[in-house]
Amino acid sequence: MIVGQQKPFDEIWEMVKGFKKVLVYGCNTCVAICHAGGGKEAEILTSLLRMKAAQEGVDLQVDHAAIERHCEPEFFEPLDEKVRTYDLVLSTACGVGVNFLADRLGGSMPVYPGINTTFYGGVPEAGFFVELCGGCGNCVLHLTGGICPIVRCSKSLMNGPCGGTNNGKCEVSNETDCAWFLIVERMKKLGTLEKLYEVQPPRDWSTGTHGGPRRVSLEHIRAYEEQEEKNAATEGRR
Amino acid sequence: MVDGAVTEQTGVSTIEKPREIPEGWEPNVLAFACHYCAFAAADLAGVMRLSYPPNVKIIRLPCTGKLDHIHILRAFERGVDGVFVAG
Amino acid sequence: MKSGSNLERVIASGKMAVTAELGPPMSADPHEVIKKANILKGFCDAANITDCQTAVVRISSIAAAFIALREGLEPVMQMTCRDRNRIAMQADLLGAAALGLKNCLCIAGDHQMFSAAGKLKGHPGAKNVYDVDTCQLVGIMRKMRDEGLQQGGDKLEVAPKFFIGASWTPMGDPMDFRPYNLKKKVDAGADFIQTQGIYDMELFRSQMEKARNLGLLERTAMLAGIIVPKSAMMLKYMDSSVAGVTVPKSLIERMNKAKEAAGDDKKKARELQEQEGIKITIELIQQALEIPGVRGVHIQAIEWESAIEPIVKAAGLYPRPTFPDA
Repeated sequence: MIVGQQKPFDEIWEMVKGFKKVLVYGCNTCVAICHAGGGKEAEILTSLLRMKAAQEGVDLQVDHAAIERHCEPEFFEPLDEKVRTYDLVLSTACGVGVNFLADRLGGSMPVYPGINTTFYGGVPEAGFFVELCGGCGNCVLHLTGGICPIVRCSKSLMNGPCGGTNNGKCEVSNETDCAWFLIVERMKKLGTLEKLYEVQPPRDWSTGTHGGPRRVSLEHIRAYEEQEEKNAATEGRR
Repeated sequence: MVDGAVTEQTGVSTIEKPREIPEGWEPNVLAFACHYCAFAAADLAGVMRLSYPPNVKIIRLPCTGKLDHIHILRAFERGVDGVFVAG
Repeated sequence: MKSGSNLERVIASGKMAVTAELGPPMSADPHEVIKKANILKGFCDAANITDCQTAVVRISSIAAAFIALREGLEPVMQMTCRDRNRIAMQADLLGAAALGLKNCLCIAGDHQMFSAAGKLKGHPGAKNVYDVDTCQLVGIMRKMRDEGLQQGGDKLEVAPKFFIGASWTPMGDPMDFRPYNLKKKVDAGADFIQTQGIYDMELFRSQMEKARNLGLLERTAMLAGIIVPKSAMMLKYMDSSVAGVTVPKSLIERMNKAKEAAGDDKKKARELQEQEGIKITIELIQQALEIPGVRGVHIQAIEWESAIEPIVKAAGLYPRPTFPDA
């Protein structure tokens, strides 16, 4: 899932204080799980903003809403009209949601981020989130015992470990596990350590964020959808 | 919060603005009490004709587990000075 | 000869090689490099010029290496994977070769967080690169030299001829993997290896035996790293905090004794510890050179270049070999 953290309140206040009518717009998927930007968090943030406005003597109307997802158009539809009555949307969705809604609104009004989108992570225990995937577009987990060297190694090494491993911890912090230490130990358990004896060649990073914006297009599904639309139009004419 | 709807709290005026504390001021306290214990105790106190200050208002909850962040925040928005949860 | 560097010639001649280290300053003034180069000249076969060590901004390794070369000290330029992508790396390698540099040590580089770990502000918010890692950089450099090709496959008109080095932390954990870690660097094309500082020679000996069993020591020249200890405090710090370094208690005790012998005289305590540190270094060098497969030593006297002369002389490694046509 995507993990985010609410921005510091003062930073949010600086963003919104010049507006008159603000909608705090939550997303009930990933960012709700990490208690950053779901409906509940949006509601709490709304209340805090109202209190701050009162304290500062600023005339500001703040309301809140939440939908299940901020990354697909269908979920936005029921609220579209209402949303357009505001001066500002303070989105507590992830960065995807902020982009998606801003594109949807097409410059008719601003959409500001209420949270910092942090990483793709897992939830090993309630209230604890760890980064586990870098979304590099060229997965190597079969070579590394299911442990991602791209984000779990501070240097994204493909032929680790480096000389900075200290008691199984990373040189960056003694609270961070050395990914390559974990990889070696995992590969030993799996009985596939010899896979690590091969030198991995320089990577092609163009599949990651270094090759420009990425898209995935499933042509068969797009073609099917297009046909369905045509059929519906024909039905309509009859 | 109901999904798919905008919850409006248009009453900006319901929020108490900060001001000087006057002489002899008493805080307004809101008590959230559990039906099965704290509220029952308050009932019993009533039966025993014990009195408590009038600036405490009690809201009965089926259980304090029902209490939500937003209940407390709304109380403050509307000018309550303190919240008391008993259960 | 792959590069014809002085270091390569010494190693090829079968004599024990000596390398030292020169840390460039946080300054645009070259005099510090010139001064240090002249202190080291004649007492080592080549000196490593660190590349923004601990991620702190200093005169770049290539520029400082060129200054050292001009002074008559053969440099080993260093290149970290932290600060450059493969385009910048290869461009810098061509430039370095064009300037006459012949040795290059490939390292991952300390993470940028290190730059603020001490007293400096550093640049902990910097973006690191790590486009390629050490093994891959070694491979790129070999491909450029031996095949005349860039990593991407384009031809080079004239190939840069480097004597290629890599670092090795023999006692870093997971220790049983470290010989294979070395193997990968050798497979990638490392002509010589400089190790992390070693104090526990017995442990190093056992790691070397594993490396020998993998057939690595005929394929690469192993230079044992020795960090000259300055004080008991430094030894304790390295033992507890520096990755891959363990210091036997007996050495720490020796330093402690030297310190205590001075009583309350702080200046004397420093002097006695420095003397003891030089003694310890000489012993470590002699022990290291006896280990089969060791082809030389890499002596690091951090911000203490003047220690190299007495150490090299007392260890019986002076004078350094010279080659008439070099």
